[in-house]
Amino acid sequence: MKEKLNSIKEHVLNAVAQRKPVNIVGGNSKAYLGRATTGTLVDMSAYTGVISYEPTELYITARAGTLLSEINNTLSEHGQMLAFDPPNVTDKTTIGGVVATGLSGSRRPYSGSVRDYILGIRCINGLGKDLSFGGQVMKNVAGYDLSRLMTGAFGTLGIILEVSIKVVPLPESEITCCRTMTKEKALAKMLELSAQAIPISASCYDGEVLYVRLSGNENSVKETSKKIDLDEDGRGLKFWNELRDYKAPIFNTDINTWRISVPITANIDIGADPFLIEWGGGLYWLNSERPAKDIFNMASEAGGNAMLFHGSDQDQELFHPLSNGLLSLHKGLKKAFDPHGILNPGKMYAAL
Amino acid sequence: MNFKYFTEILPPEAVLLSQESKRVYECDAMSAHRVMPGCVVLPDSVEQVQAILSYCYANDIPVVARGAGTGLSGGAMPHAEGVLLSLAKFNQIVEIDPIQRSARVQPGVRNLAISEAVKSFGLYYAPDPSSQIACTIGGNVAENSGGVHCLKYGLTVHNILQLKVVTIEGELITIGSHAYDSAGYDLLALLTGSEGMLAVIVEVTVKLIPKAPFSRVLLAAFDDIEKAGNAVAGVIADGIIPAGFEMMDKAGVRAVEDFVHAGYPTDAEAILLCELDGTEEEVQTGLKEVESLLMQYGAIEVRVATDEAESELFWAGRKAAFPAAGRITPDYLCMDGTIPRKHLAEVLAGINALSEKYKLGVINVFHAGDGNLHPLILYDVAIPGELKRTEAFGSEILQLCIAMGGTITGEHGVGIEKINEMCIQFNDDELEQFHAVKAAFDTKGLLNPGKAVPTLNRCAEFGAMHVHRGEDKFPELERY
Repeated sequence: MKEKLNSIKEHVLNAVAQRKPVNIVGGNSKAYLGRATTGTLVDMSAYTGVISYEPTELYITARAGTLLSEINNTLSEHGQMLAFDPPNVTDKTTIGGVVATGLSGSRRPYSGSVRDYILGIRCINGLGKDLSFGGQVMKNVAGYDLSRLMTGAFGTLGIILEVSIKVVPLPESEITCCRTMTKEKALAKMLELSAQAIPISASCYDGEVLYVRLSGNENSVKETSKKIDLDEDGRGLKFWNELRDYKAPIFNTDINTWRISVPITANIDIGADPFLIEWGGGLYWLNSERPAKDIFNMASEAGGNAMLFHGSDQDQELFHPLSNGLLSLHKGLKKAFDPHGILNPGKMYAAL
Repeated sequence: MNFKYFTEILPPEAVLLSQESKRVYECDAMSAHRVMPGCVVLPDSVEQVQAILSYCYANDIPVVARGAGTGLSGGAMPHAEGVLLSLAKFNQIVEIDPIQRSARVQPGVRNLAISEAVKSFGLYYAPDPSSQIACTIGGNVAENSGGVHCLKYGLTVHNILQLKVVTIEGELITIGSHAYDSAGYDLLALLTGSEGMLAVIVEVTVKLIPKAPFSRVLLAAFDDIEKAGNAVAGVIADGIIPAGFEMMDKAGVRAVEDFVHAGYPTDAEAILLCELDGTEEEVQTGLKEVESLLMQYGAIEVRVATDEAESELFWAGRKAAFPAAGRITPDYLCMDGTIPRKHLAEVLAGINALSEKYKLGVINVFHAGDGNLHPLILYDVAIPGELKRTEAFGSEILQLCIAMGGTITGEHGVGIEKINEMCIQFNDDELEQFHAVKAAFDTKGLLNPGKAVPTLNRCAEFGAMHVHRGEDKFPELERY
């Protein structure tokens, strides 16, 4: 792996010297995310391998190109998992891509997001410097939290080389319950369930049926399933995996697919467009050809943000517009990590 | 420095200029280091904070923000030519939303006051630093505070949704949102734990969580500290994440037992406290599992609290560890390193060896679940040279933590206390990256100057000193 690392570093140093952008790619399983970028390819998919995994210390450290499926398998052999349920979009999905995009799955509202579980990152910044932040221990407040800052930054602040992630025990047992109901009733039910100290781990309303997953101790899951006034459903695992991996019907379309994140109490009016709600009412997926401006405004008014998740035009702005104050801080940070603007320039916003 | 402007924009009682009135602001809970601030201001509106910061920016005046001053690393130590900006008057809970399970609060609201205010909704704010009666949420965000329950419920960074901050240029910016994620970079994570170096926090929205219906504490005694460490790993490997998992060594147990009489076995080499929470079925099953695991790992005694009162008694001992230390020594210095748990026995042996070397007593209390150590070094500031020896002892403990793959601070922050050890944990390139981030927010370096991230010059000097540890080249120079 040392030669591979050296060749990545050499590539970046050349790019720095020539002031030429690089395009950072892992498994390329989410190529539709973000704006189109030019630049010479930095292929991370060959920089692979779990560096250390200690189940009793609750962390795993892996190189960026390590397949997510390999990490999931390694963890489950020891009765553990990644708490944030990252989408395993294809069999090429890498852990570096998971961290760079910062997208969490169905468990997110109940157990936390990608960045919540990031303990440390080793990266190369836009000057070609090899830097390590955070570490492998659960609590670490030495220096600014640059590993979490880099999570979800789409490679615009640094090329992620290695990540250390906190892991959690696999639940002993899971039950999925569901019932057909209206959107209003489903949202109210999701709020009601999320407000209780019960072992809920996912919730979803697909426009017709509310699905709820319970995970945890066998007794507790069984007892809870009797109390929540929904019907047990046998399709559990397949349903949630398809949803998590962007294979649910809402993703199988040529229409623009929007990802809209709002406060759980927002109950936004999405009109007649096909939709799906997750995260206890906090995440809407929407198939819509409405102008981007309208969707951004709708999300802003609800106190949230929108992102054109999958569309035909990757040259326009796809991420939610930033306020002037925020944009100027973003530009400052981009400059602090990548003064020559060579790391995935324009991937998130044209200005970064 | 001219502070007259502040008397024009603030009421007279909100600007402190006299020596007597400024004295209480000389230090935070790291009282060994004191500086008289140039001026203390106590604004009560966001507009006032904006005006103060704009003026400081225009006139190159350093600013140190302060909450309750309970910090243990000197993060709120004032600047002699600067403004000490107290957020004490920002003490209102602005809004509680029980359905969204969040509360919007001003930065000067005390940590515990939030949980008290939302108790009737069956909710609470999870991070519970031991100073939670007094410490404020603004300070918690600045330090990314933890507590005894963070193994399961996370640190401050996991429990806040949105911040309103004022930049050094006086601009009010909202960071994060009430949704599960926000557009752009994760500035919420960056600001949390930034020790007042990037912006001044004027409002915090915290996440509230439903109170678990049932919880119980179990106490286990061990005749060997290594066995206790292995038992902690064994419980976690079995798939159990306790709400709290604490350890205390013999010296700690004795100090505490003399003070609060929690019923701890004083002949044990180490005790563990393990709290489980959840539904009653879940907790009862879990307690049986934990009990049998701890016995397997060699516990000489395991006691499960029979009711809530006994659970509280078990906790009372642990929570009284710092005041108990205060009873047996004139002064103590609390360290905060974090290590991979597997090195516990080795690190504790190392600390005991250092205790002999420096001829200073030490008590070890320890957030065992997440590897966060709090050795308390016992000393007497009145004995010439003892503070210096204590600090050298502390520095060696931190270096030991780094050598074991850990960190110099788990939850107390770097502040002024651990600034030299930052030079060991991070190399020059990494420190330069920190400085570049700082400059993106604060080009003139006016916010909390000299804290958290050392200059490369300072590290070069420390490096030289580091080699000659114990034989300081310039003992007459003040260093903090």
